[in-house]
Amino acid sequence: MGGSRLAVPRARWSAARKLGLTLVSILAVSALPARHAPWGLLLLAVLIGAARVAGLTLRSWLKRWLVALPFLLSVSLLGLFQPHGGALFLAVLVKSTVSLLAVQLLLHTTPASDLLRTLRRAHVPEILCSTILLLQRYWVLLADEAARMRRARAGRTLRSGRLELWRAQGNALGLLFVRTVARAERVQAAMRARGAP
Amino acid sequence: MHIPDGFLSARVAAGSGVTAGLGVAFACARVRATGLGARRALLGVSAAFVFAAQLVNFPVAAGTSGHLIGAALVAALLGLPAAIVVMTAVLVVQCLVFGDGGVLALGANVLNMALVSCVVGYSVDRLACGKNPSPTRRVAAVAFAGWCATVAAAVSCAEELALSGVARFGVVLPAMVGVHALIGIGEAMISGLLVASVLRLRPELLARASANHSRNALGSGLGLALVAALLLAPFSSAAPDGLLRVAAGLGAQAHASSPSSAPLPDYTLPGLGTGALATVLVGACGALLIFGLCWLFARLVVPRRRGSATAESTPSPIAAE
Repeated sequence: MGGSRLAVPRARWSAARKLGLTLVSILAVSALPARHAPWGLLLLAVLIGAARVAGLTLRSWLKRWLVALPFLLSVSLLGLFQPHGGALFLAVLVKSTVSLLAVQLLLHTTPASDLLRTLRRAHVPEILCSTILLLQRYWVLLADEAARMRRARAGRTLRSGRLELWRAQGNALGLLFVRTVARAERVQAAMRARGAP
Repeated sequence: MHIPDGFLSARVAAGSGVTAGLGVAFACARVRATGLGARRALLGVSAAFVFAAQLVNFPVAAGTSGHLIGAALVAALLGLPAAIVVMTAVLVVQCLVFGDGGVLALGANVLNMALVSCVVGYSVDRLACGKNPSPTRRVAAVAFAGWCATVAAAVSCAEELALSGVARFGVVLPAMVGVHALIGIGEAMISGLLVASVLRLRPELLARASANHSRNALGSGLGLALVAALLLAPFSSAAPDGLLRVAAGLGAQAHASSPSSAPLPDYTLPGLGTGALATVLVGACGALLIFGLCWLFARLVVPRRRGSATAESTPSPIAAE
């Protein structure tokens, strides 16, 4: 299995091993009882060390953490409405922060294609694997197409209210779906031409 | 609604992972059995479509924006097994490529957003749409299905969080369902607008979808009943459920207090008591109200064509506007 471009020992491990290690560390930190959650910070220290070796910047990790923050805070705050809520709140914060760094480290050191190959080896059904593969290949194209349609609409419309904007966006997505089906037919024909069933 | 790692207990993560795995394996087998496997490009490109559509923002209010989730919509357009595969693929890529949602929580996220929301969305759409629906009914059905699917996924997410012990069920359920009942309105509108536009551009795509899965309406109805029973099980029992018992044992109050001036205090109808029947009736009233709104919305967005084969059976197009 191909390693990553990074010349560090951890990055040269196989994707399966890295995925397994990530899962084990997340499982370990999740299984900690709330009152022992501060022990998770030990793992955090190890992960921060590994992240430094692997060249994962603090900035990219913080960015990811900020994206997850609304869910993180809203649900952990709900946890305050029960006995020992404060300890639970801190425990959830520690656990999710450690897990987030573990996943970031995995994604930073492992190309997505390697992870998907691991899924295929783990006997994930073929149809799901091919759907994931095609999704990865085509989403950029479709997102570009959606952006082009948005630009074209903005060029045609001088000013529009919120309702008109919703209607226009809905129409654009409908058109995008119609084009998606047409594209799928072309892709299928091309696949058949290359010998796919 | 993507649950990050660290929120679910190991037991809940394992349980939901196994359930999701079995569900997705069954959906994959159904896709192969129904011959859709030969059209795998459609599944892959549709997954890319859902992914791209989720990036298109709709302005909501005060600088905030929402986006399509798409489970009910894809279920209505492609059928249930294909929709489960498509939504699972989207969630796997969001998790393994973009780090959105936890790796250990992936099973729970697939269970909520691919299985529960697709099954509920598909069943509601089939039941509300019936055979040979008018364009207005088609749009209203998919909009209502979008709302139901969003709320159902929120209920399932709240259950997992409560079972993991991160928050009390009586607190996390109203919070999740309340927020997602609002998000669901946006989902309903986007899904409705999208289907209205597909109906205008290529109506045969929807006709083909209807012809494919109208036979499964009974099965989907049963599926819906089963999912609803599972989701509502903690409510229907008069005795406190396991979690509430644990909370009561720890000295917590069994129910969150609610203001007595609310129109339906504690989710009960005045004069009906607090039994399971009253809860179900209140839920049914709320759902009927949302369906009514979806119907009005569909009347607004579907262009009227007098004298065509698909003409409406309902009177005056302007009345609803």
